[in-house]
Amino acid sequence: MTRAGDRPTDITAPSPVTKDDKMNADRPIPFRRLLAVESRKLVDTRSGMIIALVMVGLVAASVVARGAVAGPKLQTLVGTAGIALGTLLPVLGILTVTGEWAHRTALTTFVLEPRRHRVVAAKCLPPLLAAVALSLFAMLVAVPATAVVSGVQNVPAVWEVQPLALLGWTGGNVLVAAAGLALGALLLNAPAAIVINFSTPVLWAVVGRLDSAGATLAEWLDLGTTAAPLTSGDMTWSEGARLATSVAFWIAIPMAAGLVRVLRKEVT
Amino acid sequence: MGIARGRKAGPGVETRRTPVRCGGVRIRGGLGGVIEFNHVSKIYGKAKALDDVTFTVAAGSVTGFLGPNGAGKSTALRILVGLSRPSSGSATVLGLPYAGMACPGLRVGTLLDAGARHPGRTGREVLTLGAITLGLPRTRVGEVLDLVGLTERESRRTVGGYSLGMRQRLGIAHALLGTPAVLILDEPANGLDPQGIHWMRRLLRDLADSGCAVLLSSHLLHEVEQVADHIVMIGRGRVLAQGTTGELGRGRGLEETFLELTAHADRGPGSTASPGSTASQEIGASPETGTGRGGA
Repeated sequence: MTRAGDRPTDITAPSPVTKDDKMNADRPIPFRRLLAVESRKLVDTRSGMIIALVMVGLVAASVVARGAVAGPKLQTLVGTAGIALGTLLPVLGILTVTGEWAHRTALTTFVLEPRRHRVVAAKCLPPLLAAVALSLFAMLVAVPATAVVSGVQNVPAVWEVQPLALLGWTGGNVLVAAAGLALGALLLNAPAAIVINFSTPVLWAVVGRLDSAGATLAEWLDLGTTAAPLTSGDMTWSEGARLATSVAFWIAIPMAAGLVRVLRKEVT
Repeated sequence: MGIARGRKAGPGVETRRTPVRCGGVRIRGGLGGVIEFNHVSKIYGKAKALDDVTFTVAAGSVTGFLGPNGAGKSTALRILVGLSRPSSGSATVLGLPYAGMACPGLRVGTLLDAGARHPGRTGREVLTLGAITLGLPRTRVGEVLDLVGLTERESRRTVGGYSLGMRQRLGIAHALLGTPAVLILDEPANGLDPQGIHWMRRLLRDLADSGCAVLLSSHLLHEVEQVADHIVMIGRGRVLAQGTTGELGRGRGLEETFLELTAHADRGPGSTASPGSTASQEIGASPETGTGRGGA
């Protein structure tokens, strides 16, 4: 067996270290590098790759299936992808921010970049960008799906879309991804965060039917309810206020608390 | 001379004498303390994990950080690299708090736990992520793989299927990515076969001889004894003894010294250990002679 021990270890000769590298040691790691690394971590394991493929596959499948059933209506087909995205994007967010703690790779990551807030920022961006990219992908798939369904079923296609509604819909997808990130950052435990993520809609359904106070609570805090007007393309001020309240409750506050937790946590 | 001169040199004070070349990086403060623990204590609730730990590691030397399980070795190393905060005192690397360095990975190579890897990532991918983070060319990945003796095929397997020995080699490869001037290794010999241990001894010796400061923790006395110039013994969070390997082992062998000093830590209060053994002892000469073979 030939291991390195069989020959003299030459540490300095093959080293690519140059004056540049020496200077680089005195320069902070550029954020784009952290972003590149954290994006790469999303797909460089088999499980990460499977999640990515499942998301792409589900978006495409849901758009096509809806087309076959509901007929060639572009905006309806796009909106259908929201079911897949609303389910999977929070999970992606949760897994992204909790991953380092599950496998204790934080030990390596935070040793290379001790400014932990930069790592957290670099971790949060890829799922948010994925939400935008997958929303665009859904629109892209919906166009040929609408055309094909129209041709096959011999029904005139409905191409009308409200740009604002699609924008709002995309924004809604970004929000659910952000909610997953925030919940994950707060708990730093994927199973707990996923269970809470999937049980809250049930909880709101119950709370909303309790009494008038419960209904009001759900109207203001259930992100699923408050984000719904986004997809209509015209949002009233009071709807905006409700959305802002629920965003603060589910995204801003847990994210801030989670960030403080990550910054202070003893990494073991 | 490490301790005394290291203190005076202190953070920020650069004694620009002949710079030591190691990994292409100038070491601040010449041969003074590259790693310095200054009265570091760590308290968890009522338990004192570390109690007034003070020692230095000089450039060009291998320092063995010895202690029984639970003595506080890992806690001290985590504090050193900024993963944990000391309750009091401070630890510096190259004259700076670790987290205060702009890009510490290019100066300091760290292996804290070879097992802390995503099992689904390949060894090569682990190193690639590190290389991207540090802004190194991808060719560096192949170089460090060669250096630690992981084959091309092994590097393309996922870490979940690695033996502990292979994980240690991967961890050391990762630590060497940035051609560091300082190496901090927690229990790197765990899980290595005799061949691997021999290899690691040579690697650490070569690195130290080229000017690196190496701090490695272990409970494997004989392994440390054969490679370290300087030993810091710790038990129950306190430095029990420090000095050159020769001084600590003089006359009775390192193991004897170790067992005597750490007896109370293993058996707990009320044991037969002599009362004096809890006090911090300086074996042999004064700590000023502590750099051992440094600069040899």
